[in-house]
Amino acid sequence: MNKKKETAMFKRPVSSSDFDRNFRSEVVKHPDASGLSTCFSCGACTAGCPIHEVFPEYDPRKLAKMVKLGMRKQVLSSPYIWYCATCHNCEQRCPQNVKFFNVLNVLKNMAAKEGYAPSCWIKQTKQVGKTGIVFSTEEKWVKKREELLLPVLKLEGKDAKKIIELSGINKIKLKVNSE
Amino acid sequence: MNKYALFLGCTTPTQVPQYEMSARWICKYFGIELIDVKDFICCGINQVNLSIEAGLLMAAMNLALAEDKKLDILTLCAACTGALLEAVEKLKDQETRDKINNKLQAIGVEYKGNVKVRHISRVFYEDLGIERIKKETKKDLSKLHVAPHYGCHYLKPKSALGGFDEPDNPKTLHQLIFATGAYPVGYETLNLCCGGKVFPVSEDLVDSLVQKKLDDLAGKEIDAMVLQCQTCYLMYSDRQNEVNKKYGKQYNIPIILYPQLLGLALGADPVKNLGLNLHTVSVDKVLEKIA
Repeated sequence: MNKKKETAMFKRPVSSSDFDRNFRSEVVKHPDASGLSTCFSCGACTAGCPIHEVFPEYDPRKLAKMVKLGMRKQVLSSPYIWYCATCHNCEQRCPQNVKFFNVLNVLKNMAAKEGYAPSCWIKQTKQVGKTGIVFSTEEKWVKKREELLLPVLKLEGKDAKKIIELSGINKIKLKVNSE
Repeated sequence: MNKYALFLGCTTPTQVPQYEMSARWICKYFGIELIDVKDFICCGINQVNLSIEAGLLMAAMNLALAEDKKLDILTLCAACTGALLEAVEKLKDQETRDKINNKLQAIGVEYKGNVKVRHISRVFYEDLGIERIKKETKKDLSKLHVAPHYGCHYLKPKSALGGFDEPDNPKTLHQLIFATGAYPVGYETLNLCCGGKVFPVSEDLVDSLVQKKLDDLAGKEIDAMVLQCQTCYLMYSDRQNEVNKKYGKQYNIPIILYPQLLGLALGADPVKNLGLNLHTVSVDKVLEKIA
């Protein structure tokens, strides 16, 4: 984590003339993020977030606010949107039933299209297209399973490749190194 | 129904085979038939990062494969459970289902919306029941004090779980542990996430989360942590050494998967049936205590 750079980016004064007024509606247009319209920034999400607990600069309320203000570039290029541990505490705590985990996914999808996805997820997707799972068929695992008398894993990934192609995620390319 | 499509996921069959071994052993013991579906792929939980639709498509394909065999799905991984259950919820919407099925045509499958997805512990809890498990136990585990760890996606999102357990005050794993004769210990960080899903992005974040829980547990008189997800297992077990090095600690907390604990109570062979020799953090202390 390049903490210094990130802190600078989040604390720099922002000018309202840089805001993209369409960003908010673009985000809430997606059914998974529609609930964000009802967020009143109470911060219950942040209070219940385990990542915020160990890395206070990761702040779901702040990210939600930034979306609502239209801070498109700052949100989509932020490494923080990829820090969610997917524990669903934010959703569990939210008095407005905002599913912030799903809102983040919408933001991540938009960021990925603009080339900001961390390379780990792109690599993993390629792997799924090959074996159907997020790992390769390493010899040591195959052998270990044999020794333990577990059924042979058949990882041909024949349909996985098609599924990945159908979904179009094989076309997502890394343009900006956000790590 | 005593027959399920076994959804192994990605990590269990490759990196935590002892979970699979012990799960298969327990199911066989109780007459729960597990069917291996060779065309199952990853549940799609990580692919939603890049495309929500891609994740849904992958989950839907798996659901369709189970449906084709007229089977419900039994999962081992908490995250697969959550991802598949969320897909089940989303695919209740006719329009969404049509859209996804339109794409699934290309691989010759269709999901009609009739598959139930349950985690293995939930199947134990709901189908076998605590009383039945208690009656079957042969070995005395009453000396064991263990810390339960649920795994976030076993309990959440609540909207997809259909009223099963209570995310903020969960009790099913506590009861399942009680049923084996062992004692589940209460602790402050019970609901703290293992961080597994952010591991590929930042190991540092995971280590901070893992350290927090291990530190809490180190002050308790416990013999092991008992959990029910291979990702949580890898974080607390395989990261334990890393965390020790990084934070200058000497945590030595054995991590056991629930089917292994149950297997011990049922008199299974710790090595041959439960793979308890395969753990990164040795469980010898636990075995000695119940010998």
